[in-house]
Amino acid sequence: MIRYIIRRLLWGVLSLIVVAALLFILFRVLPTGNPALLRAGRDPKPKLVKEIEVALGLSKPLPVQFWDYLKEIFLHLNFGYSYYSQQSVRSLIAERLPPTISLALGAGVLWIVAGFGIGIVSALRRHSLWDRAAMGGALVAISAPEFWLGLVFLYLFSSDIGKFKLLPGAGSYVSLSSDPWKWFTSLIMPWIVLAAGAAAIFARLMRGSLTETMREDYIRTARAKGLPERDVVRHGVRAAVNPLVTLFGLELAALLGGAVIVETVFNIPGVGRLSYQAIQSADFPVIQGTVLLAAMFVIVANIVVDISYAYLDPRVRYS
Amino acid sequence: MRSIRMLVATALAAVLALALGACGSSSSGSTTVPGSASVLSTGGYQSPLTTSLTDGKRGGTLQVLDETDFEHLDPGIAYYSLDYTVVFATQRPLYSNKPDAVEPTPDMAAAAPEISADNKTVTVHLKEGIHFSPPVNREVTSHDVAYAIERGANPNVANPYLSTYFSSLEGIKQANGGAIKGIETPNKHAIVFHLTEPKGQFVADALVLPLTAAVPKEYAEKFDTNNPSDYANYQVATGPYMLKNNAEGKVLGIGYSPGKSATLVRNPNWNASTDFRPAYLNEIDIKIGGTQAVIDRQVLEGGNVVENEPPAQSAIKLAAENYKSQIDISPGGGSHYIAVNNKVGPFSSIDLRKALWAALDRKAMDRVRGGELVTNVATHFIYPTINGFNEAGGVAGPKVDYNEHPEGDIALAEKYIRLAGYPSGKYTGEKPIEVVASSGAPAKEDAEIVNQTLKNLGFKTKLTLVEQSTMYAKYCGVPKEEIDVCPNVNWIADFSDPQTVLNITFSGNSIVSSGNNNWGQVNVPTINAAMTAAESVNGKAARGAAWAKIDEELVRDAAAVPFDWDKQPRLEGSAVHGVAQLWNEGAWDYSFTSLK
Amino acid sequence: MLPSGGGALDFLELGGGIASRSPLQLFWRRFRQDRVALVSLGFIAFLIVIAVAAPLVVSLLGLPGPDVQNLNLTDSFGSPLGPSLAHPFGVDQLGEDVMSRVIYGTRVALEVGILGTGIATAVGVAVGMLAGFYRGWIDTALSRLMDVVLSIPILLLGLGVGAACAVRGCVKGAVQPGLGLIIFVITIATWPYVARIVRGLVLSMREREFVEASRALGASDARIMLREILPNLTAPIIVYATLLIPTNILFEAALSFLSVGIRPPTASWGQMIAQASPIFTTAWWYMVFPGAALLLTVLAFNLLGDGLQDALSPRSVR
Repeated sequence: MIRYIIRRLLWGVLSLIVVAALLFILFRVLPTGNPALLRAGRDPKPKLVKEIEVALGLSKPLPVQFWDYLKEIFLHLNFGYSYYSQQSVRSLIAERLPPTISLALGAGVLWIVAGFGIGIVSALRRHSLWDRAAMGGALVAISAPEFWLGLVFLYLFSSDIGKFKLLPGAGSYVSLSSDPWKWFTSLIMPWIVLAAGAAAIFARLMRGSLTETMREDYIRTARAKGLPERDVVRHGVRAAVNPLVTLFGLELAALLGGAVIVETVFNIPGVGRLSYQAIQSADFPVIQGTVLLAAMFVIVANIVVDISYAYLDPRVRYS
Repeated sequence: MRSIRMLVATALAAVLALALGACGSSSSGSTTVPGSASVLSTGGYQSPLTTSLTDGKRGGTLQVLDETDFEHLDPGIAYYSLDYTVVFATQRPLYSNKPDAVEPTPDMAAAAPEISADNKTVTVHLKEGIHFSPPVNREVTSHDVAYAIERGANPNVANPYLSTYFSSLEGIKQANGGAIKGIETPNKHAIVFHLTEPKGQFVADALVLPLTAAVPKEYAEKFDTNNPSDYANYQVATGPYMLKNNAEGKVLGIGYSPGKSATLVRNPNWNASTDFRPAYLNEIDIKIGGTQAVIDRQVLEGGNVVENEPPAQSAIKLAAENYKSQIDISPGGGSHYIAVNNKVGPFSSIDLRKALWAALDRKAMDRVRGGELVTNVATHFIYPTINGFNEAGGVAGPKVDYNEHPEGDIALAEKYIRLAGYPSGKYTGEKPIEVVASSGAPAKEDAEIVNQTLKNLGFKTKLTLVEQSTMYAKYCGVPKEEIDVCPNVNWIADFSDPQTVLNITFSGNSIVSSGNNNWGQVNVPTINAAMTAAESVNGKAARGAAWAKIDEELVRDAAAVPFDWDKQPRLEGSAVHGVAQLWNEGAWDYSFTSLK
Repeated sequence: MLPSGGGALDFLELGGGIASRSPLQLFWRRFRQDRVALVSLGFIAFLIVIAVAAPLVVSLLGLPGPDVQNLNLTDSFGSPLGPSLAHPFGVDQLGEDVMSRVIYGTRVALEVGILGTGIATAVGVAVGMLAGFYRGWIDTALSRLMDVVLSIPILLLGLGVGAACAVRGCVKGAVQPGLGLIIFVITIATWPYVARIVRGLVLSMREREFVEASRALGASDARIMLREILPNLTAPIIVYATLLIPTNILFEAALSFLSVGIRPPTASWGQMIAQASPIFTTAWWYMVFPGAALLLTVLAFNLLGDGLQDALSPRSVR
């Protein structure tokens, strides 16, 4: 078991290096723009651009740049400095992580509760009015694009521009430590928007998965044996949850990497918005720092999921 | 996401010819602003030309919502108009502009610059009693102004204007961050510029650039040795406001959190008697991020809040109809035109360029931008409020047949296509032309109109939309890419001298391999020569006339197709008595704005 | 939890004598009884017809084409006019008829949804099958590849690829900006989801008796994968694919919102919604009609998926 864990971890690190390489190719070899140019401004004489490129370390051959970059990250955990603000990427990310974590965890809780709850009830009462209404609602929630949903919420419920002035508007996020109530209320709408689509998908998957499970022989046997229905359902749910766990892990990890659209619409200073802005200004160190961070979350989530599968199913360990 | 970035507009009419005593055409109040009533009017809405500068109430905090982040807040590097809103509230260059003026007012300087008779020496005397903000605190001297300019040549700072506008400064070619031979500081309150060519007027005009805002060498040089320099994160101020900092002078994370917020507080060492700025507000809190549509609404429904970027078209309409006192329109906010590739491809033919100009419905192009309230149909390249506008033809522009029909004239276009060698009156080339435009509204809509116009003329087109900065940095600004049409390029003068409107954008000598701003690669030897000659013309009227002639030549060459002279709108909350900067594309001026 | 009905019923047929129905016939009978699923299938067929015959439909309705600009239909501020007799769904900022654009938008939605998902699914099934069947280092390598792709946030991946492939395209010009690029991005971003699920299913299925039996009979790897395992995957693959289609259509909308989208003047619902979002309080029609089309399409695919799932599992209890 230990050996499996170690192997998995090593593979995880390798995956990260591959991601770093992919990012390097995508954003530095085929970039949105030359940052030295963007720095050089209005009338960039080639000599000036060259000087900036040297100053930013961009004139070295690409493999050298990549090697330097890898070394800095994996040996020193140094992600470099933003080309624009000269702020260290590590501190930039550290600053932006708490809002993103708040967003991700809150949404996660919401969609587990909503998704599983609705899915379970729907599966047990298939084709009932409840089922149809819930699934219908889920469908609407899935088919609404995030940015649209977010804007609708703002135009309906935000205290500054909404029709019904209930919740704080865009840009009102504050950290948990400074004002817990405002922190909470400013995140309600973003949480709902983020959770809506995911909860709907989970509800549907849960319904499907549980329906299948409930048809299995051992469930029928359990019922025949006289087990109370509630316990029967519990058995069913436990088995049905399997594929959803993987999905949940992946989704949560993806959110921890930053929800670009929701952070932009609600003006939450999280990692997602940071990476989006960085891509627009070809700020390589920040792009690489934030995307690697997002990738790391997902890879860790995968490792955790795989390890738990291995724990539950010994056959997997030997693959 | 849309990100509309406008370049600097520092309007400095060369009424520095106080010595010459010339006055330009005027249409409003006491300011002399080139342009006629029709292009300067703002439909009865508030504008910098009509707003009072002096009846503000002291106190209060202003909230500012900006969708995009600042590019550079270092006075030695800044050139975007959004950056200028902060830089000009915290830094005092030698000269700067009052919000309603295109002529400069002495700021750090005590009086107008003295230009020698041979136009090779410019002398400026500094005011006394101006101090740096904490933690430097001491009095500003001419050595600080000299250092500010010298650090522009330091590759760690890399000021974008130094080589363009100060090219005639003695010793500039060898400058590398150290002392520049041509900058002399005979005493603590005088600075003298020695030039190798007779361009004294032009250099004097350029002294409005924030590059001339004093920087204390003993404090800043340790930051300037880093590459790139991070002086911006530790900067000190000379203006009425400063970026909040700690006792050691650190601004990063305190007064400016990149991508998040910025805070301006009063500079305790600012001496009001040395400054024309009233500085009513106590504090300015800037919040960065969000989406433009939401920000527009938040401002219109808000109290002491403003936004400092152009609002979306629907918000312009909403404000103009329902929130009339909360919109400010500023004429002379720059121009938009279609850059066509003069060097390779079908548009290297002058007749095809004229055909496009004739066919384009310029009124439609302006309508999607917000209509007549915020646009003027452009008929030549020098735009209103810039010296030379009237001489270049004013509102109607040079009289050529393809300029006569702002709604587009297909028949005339077809005539030119026949002249280009296509007897059917439609272009029959097989190869599709590449059109690259910015993806934000309203650039996108303009691009689609141009695309359709091209198709109507028989062209096969390939239209691609990309992020605005990418459009410039990777495609339109790189001659090697050979893009045929860039339908939505925008230019604003660095100061209201017409050279800054035409030179970098239309001179063959300005073409560079990357970051090229002569997007059409216009390279007409006679025009190039005329521009070189006009660089050395002195005197406001003479400069206006010389560059106006060049403008007319560019029109006759159909070097590009202008379609819009911008009148920039800005929105303010109901509790704000906003004052906008005419010279900075209508951005709100924090040093003059107050709360009601 | 997988139906293994395919194998069992085959045996019954071989046994001879009993006139049993083939799995396909059973499936069809069950499916026919699900009215909701039938309606959805009908709607999708209707969409396909509209997509193919878009020009005809538009001219029959007397509408101008989707690219026909008419700036006279905007007011002096450039705001579009709302629904009228001539333009039942109103017009957009360029005066283009929204109904016409919604009709043509069907093409993009179906291409992005069906084609894009189809390719991604095909790739995902192939990779998942290989990984699950062979296990060992093949599985490790492919799984790590899935990890790597899954770990990059897809919107950012889309932005990066979109920026890299703008104007001239990539893969030597095979992937052009516009529809090709969207499908390329969707494929790259979503194949691992399918692959991971397929891998999991194949991993458990390869231990089942019918596979062992086949192997004992001397069947090759390819035969086992294609003839034994794949048919049993059909049901879950179809279910996940139909779940993926609307997701991909929405992915295109998100990319449009971030300006990496379909090239104008092509009409796409996602792009229309993205464009309409900032102005929908004043130009509601521009958001509502494409939005309704999107909603109905998503609904139809999801209900169809449900119906297929019900019909394909042999032990469904009505």
